[in-house]
Amino acid sequence: MKDKQIDISELQAELEKLHVASFGWALSCCRHDRADAEEVLQTVYLKILEGKARYRGESSLKTWLFAVIRKTAITEQRKRLLRSLKSLAGLNPTPGRNSFAAEPAAAFERSEARKQFQIALERLPARQREVLHLVFYEDLSLREAANVLGVSIGSARQHYERGKKHLRESLNREELDYGISWERKENPGAVS
Amino acid sequence: MESVGNEKKIQALFRELKLADERVAPEFIKVWNRAQATSPGSPRVFKIFAVATAALLVITLSALVLWSRNGQPADQVDPKVATESTTPGSTPAPHQATPATPPTTRPLRSVVAQSPARVESNQWPPKLAARRKADLEARNAVIREAVSISSWQSPTATLMQSPADHVLTSLPQLDRSLNELKTFLPNTQQ
Repeated sequence: MKDKQIDISELQAELEKLHVASFGWALSCCRHDRADAEEVLQTVYLKILEGKARYRGESSLKTWLFAVIRKTAITEQRKRLLRSLKSLAGLNPTPGRNSFAAEPAAAFERSEARKQFQIALERLPARQREVLHLVFYEDLSLREAANVLGVSIGSARQHYERGKKHLRESLNREELDYGISWERKENPGAVS
Repeated sequence: MESVGNEKKIQALFRELKLADERVAPEFIKVWNRAQATSPGSPRVFKIFAVATAALLVITLSALVLWSRNGQPADQVDPKVATESTTPGSTPAPHQATPATPPTTRPLRSVVAQSPARVESNQWPPKLAARRKADLEARNAVIREAVSISSWQSPTATLMQSPADHVLTSLPQLDRSLNELKTFLPNTQQ
C-alpha cells in the first residue's frame, strides 16, 4: 500500500511537469475545445488513479501519456457524438459548447494569424494534424510521434510530409484571400 | 530554401499557439483533485456488492450440498435389515456368522440414520423436519411391530411339551439300539 502511494505521488509529480504539454495535446485532440480538453485530461488522470491506464516503462512517460490522452479523446468524442445524435432524435438540441469558434471574446483576443493558422490546422486530416502537432508543438521526434499514434515510422513520416504540404498550401491560400479581402476593404471601388 | 522558410514559419506559428494554450491551461492540482474526488466512490461500492454476492452464493451452495448429502442415506433405509439387526432373540443369518464376511456396516448405518436425534441435529427447514420426523416415527412403529411378531410365543406351548419330545422330533440313528444292548450283555471274554 505504501509502495503504491509512493508510486502514485512520483507519477503525480511527473504528470504535473507534463501537464501543460498534456493540455495542449488534449486541446489538439478535441479540436481546440477547452472544456472538452479539460474533461479528457481529467478522465485520463482518473484512469491513472484507478489503474486502468498503467505505465509499464515500455516507452517514455510523455509518449505513453499522450497515447492515453489521444485514446481517451477519441472515446469521449464518440460519446459526445452519440449524445448529440440522441438529442437530435429527441428534438432537443443541446446548446453549443464554448468552442473556439463560439467564443467571440476569446477569438477576438487571438491574433489574426493564429486564427488563420488554427483554421488551416482544422482543415487538415486528423493524422496529419496530429503528427504536425506532436513534432512542432510538443517537440517529439517522428519515432515518438509514431509511438503515440500507434503507426509505423514510415507512415508517420508520410503524414508529416503531406501535412506540411497541405498546411503550407492552406496558409498561402489564406494569405492570398486575406490580401484580396484587405485590398477590397481598403479600396472598395476596385474591380478584380 | 523556401521549404526551410516555410517550416520555420510553421514552427513559429505552433510556438505562438503553444504560448496561447499555456495561458488558458487549467492548474494541474485542480484537475487532479477533481479526478481524485470522482475516483474511489463507485468502484468500492461495486467491490463490496460483488464480495457480498459471492459470499451469499457460496453459503447457499454449501447449504445445498450439505442438505443433499444428509438427506440421501435416510431415504435408502431398508426396514428388513433394520429389523434383523435390532431383534434381540433372533439368530444371526449364516453369512453374518462366518468371520470371512465383512462387518455389516450398512444396516447399522441405516439404523443410525433412522434415529430421531440425528434428524433433529440436522438443519432442516421446519416443515420438512416435521414431515421427516413423522415418517421416521411411522417406520419405527412398523419395526417395533415386526420385532414383537417375530418373538411371540404361545402361552400354552409348555403344555404341549413331554420328555419324549426328542423321540418325536428327531430321527432314529442306525446301530444305536444295538450298541445300547451290548452294554447290558455279560462279558463273554471273562
